[in-house]
Amino acid sequence: MPQHAITINGKRQLVDVDDDMPLLWVLRDALGLTGTKFGCGQGICGACTVLRDGEAVRSCQISAVDAAGNRFTTIEGLSNHPCQRAWIEEDVAQCGYCQAGMILTACALLREHPKPTDQQIDDAMSEVICRCGTYPRIRKAIKAVKL
Amino acid sequence: MTTTRRDFLKITALTTGALVIGFDLEGSTTFHPNAWIAIDSDGIVTLTVGKTEMGQGVRTSLPMILADELDADWSKVRIVQASPSNDFKRLGTGGSWSIGGGWMPLRTAGAAAREMLVTAAATKWGVDAASCVTRAGVVTSGKHRATYGELVAAAAKLPVPDKPKLKEASEFRIIGQRKKRLDAPQIVNGSAKYGIDIRVPNMRYASVARGNVKRWKPVENAFAISTGVAFVAKNSWAAMKGRDALDIEFEPAPPFDSGEHAKRLEAAARAGGVVTRKEGNGEQATRHIEAVYQYPFYVHAPIEPMNCVAHVHHDRAEIWAPTQAPNTVQDRVAKQLNLDPSRVTVHVTLVGGGFGRRLGADYALEAAELSKAIDAPVQVLWTREDDMQHGYFQGASAHYLRAGIDSDGRLAAWTHTKAGSPHNARGPEPSADELKSPETAQGLSWGVYDIPYAIPSIETGYVPISIPVKHGPWRAVFAPGSVFARESFIDEIAHELQKDPVAFRLELLKGEDVIHAGDGDSKLEIDRRRLRRVIELAAEKSKWGTPGRARGFACNVYDGSTHIAYVVELNGSRIERVVAAVDCGLAINPSGIEQQVEGGIIWALSQATKSSITFRDGVPQQRTIADYDVARMRDTPAIEVHLVAGDPNPFGMGEPPVPPLAPALANAIFAATGKRQRSLPLAL
Repeated sequence: MPQHAITINGKRQLVDVDDDMPLLWVLRDALGLTGTKFGCGQGICGACTVLRDGEAVRSCQISAVDAAGNRFTTIEGLSNHPCQRAWIEEDVAQCGYCQAGMILTACALLREHPKPTDQQIDDAMSEVICRCGTYPRIRKAIKAVKL
Repeated sequence: MTTTRRDFLKITALTTGALVIGFDLEGSTTFHPNAWIAIDSDGIVTLTVGKTEMGQGVRTSLPMILADELDADWSKVRIVQASPSNDFKRLGTGGSWSIGGGWMPLRTAGAAAREMLVTAAATKWGVDAASCVTRAGVVTSGKHRATYGELVAAAAKLPVPDKPKLKEASEFRIIGQRKKRLDAPQIVNGSAKYGIDIRVPNMRYASVARGNVKRWKPVENAFAISTGVAFVAKNSWAAMKGRDALDIEFEPAPPFDSGEHAKRLEAAARAGGVVTRKEGNGEQATRHIEAVYQYPFYVHAPIEPMNCVAHVHHDRAEIWAPTQAPNTVQDRVAKQLNLDPSRVTVHVTLVGGGFGRRLGADYALEAAELSKAIDAPVQVLWTREDDMQHGYFQGASAHYLRAGIDSDGRLAAWTHTKAGSPHNARGPEPSADELKSPETAQGLSWGVYDIPYAIPSIETGYVPISIPVKHGPWRAVFAPGSVFARESFIDEIAHELQKDPVAFRLELLKGEDVIHAGDGDSKLEIDRRRLRRVIELAAEKSKWGTPGRARGFACNVYDGSTHIAYVVELNGSRIERVVAAVDCGLAINPSGIEQQVEGGIIWALSQATKSSITFRDGVPQQRTIADYDVARMRDTPAIEVHLVAGDPNPFGMGEPPVPPLAPALANAIFAATGKRQRSLPLAL
């Protein structure tokens, strides 16, 4: 099987997987990083969001061959990040399943707009679905983040 | 088994019986007075959670109840999830009964442990137990002081008291506090384990092409099982690809068309059925208005699709499942494998959204069957399309409503008949004889027979219609469709009589303060004082009646327990604000309750404004979230929650926030546009 070199959370990983295996499954099944979640496999729900050089991308839509040579951050790569602290402080999570995607999407938003407007929050965060309906607290948490 | 209120009450009752089971672990340094509590010599308190966490907050709120009566130090509380066993025979989570059902048993368990620790301290110090005070994991009496950890060895030798003294409400120190979710740190760092995250040694990954297989071409790693053909691989991606490449032909689904079905439901509702409540007679009416409301099919679409890991050995089995029904999974897997249930271990994982879908056991039975067939541990992961096409759908219903108006322009008579389908997804439907019983019919039509209003003549009914598609439990069970119809129609009558919808409801809530509706296990209490209070509060906080915004109102008493009122406010076609007034009795964790109201409103907005499931030729026409969109951040209104504690006992909040949202919104749209919409999703 082909070998792909992908940098995950600052660590260069060599993975032996099919070229077309989406990064989502590389992370979850090949590397055991299960914090990145499967929701739809079609890039619609945002549960599998990771950061590529700080930008929010859908790991289910990036094949291993396309991921090779790139640097990604998953939820496991954040450590006491201001977003994570704000999420706990605002008691955001309900079932919690979508929150890795939410937090990483918020990280990307805040990188671009450190003080986002409601419209900017709507635009960025509407890309990730939460069936429990944690949106009001996510909005609050994003506004409370101190970078 | 259908999901009726009766089932939930049975579950609650049986759970209650199994609670305080004392057993000493002699020589152990752990104090384990009952199945719920273990305290080690370092004072770490481990509390067992007997309900599935799917976002409703039970892994925080239930430990709060135990910890408060125990007077534990909250910072030293750890939690473990219960598995089915002799101690835990009824772990099912549904019907918003975790808090209501757990309240007294958990308090009793906590108080019994506390009393034993106090007795141990008093004996050690030679003082009267009454002189001992407990607080945050420490017992004191005068100059004496001991931590719970120091007392566990002595306490473990004492008998478990049957009737420990419970706290007065004024003594609660943890209950009523805004406690943050105990699972939050693991959720935000990605280490929280859901069913999909389970990995066991040597585990295979499988994807199943589901349907009645007519013909297929066998290939390596593909296995015919009862639900279709499974493809087994070394990872999820290879399993999905292998499954997609299978050459299979399925038998056509039994014919079913949701559009035709809606017409059939309407005709059935108009014709009438089993009478579920009858009071007075409608003879005083001089004119009538009538309407038919439709509630469609929906799918739960939790973001974590169905999945399960099973490892079947020759004489035992192990299951890891994101399930709301661990004991059902244990029993049904055992039956399928011809094992004693005690030989089937069920590990309950975190659940990435339940909403009733995971009360089924289909995902676990399938995984167990496959594990046995391949003689290896396997994770069966459903794709989004699998989840949406093979759901236990929320079954459609039609509601015929008719109001009689007397010569003085008063509402004199009320008729509401629901035509719908008893659940068929988790077992056989109720028999024809059972369905003739008003009690059974009531259990299938919450929100119809328990109309809270005082109307001289009331007649409600239910008509069961069997359908060939699978349908099952839904968040708020049977209430959302009924309450949409009832609260919209009340609004219609108010406008017809040129009355303010809030004032009209308050008028209709005069008379007896407390009424009862239903028979036997379906008997519900409606406290009109509590309902009036939340109606008045929602009206006041929303500035109901002031100009500037179109507003809609709706209220409900959920399952005779949680009283709730909403005002939905529109700004043009945007849902700008929802003001909620909620009386769920004593608030265990106000932060958790507010979360459920916010989440319930947003959940209900998806059904009210986004998508439904339609069937053609027996097949759901929606396959992905692109076809079945749901509410997102940009659709979220400002939500204000005002809590009232109208009862010293607490009630669950997972479901009550759902039903009144759709009618409040439909009523707001009428206020804005003059157009009445009687089916969902609504056009904004």
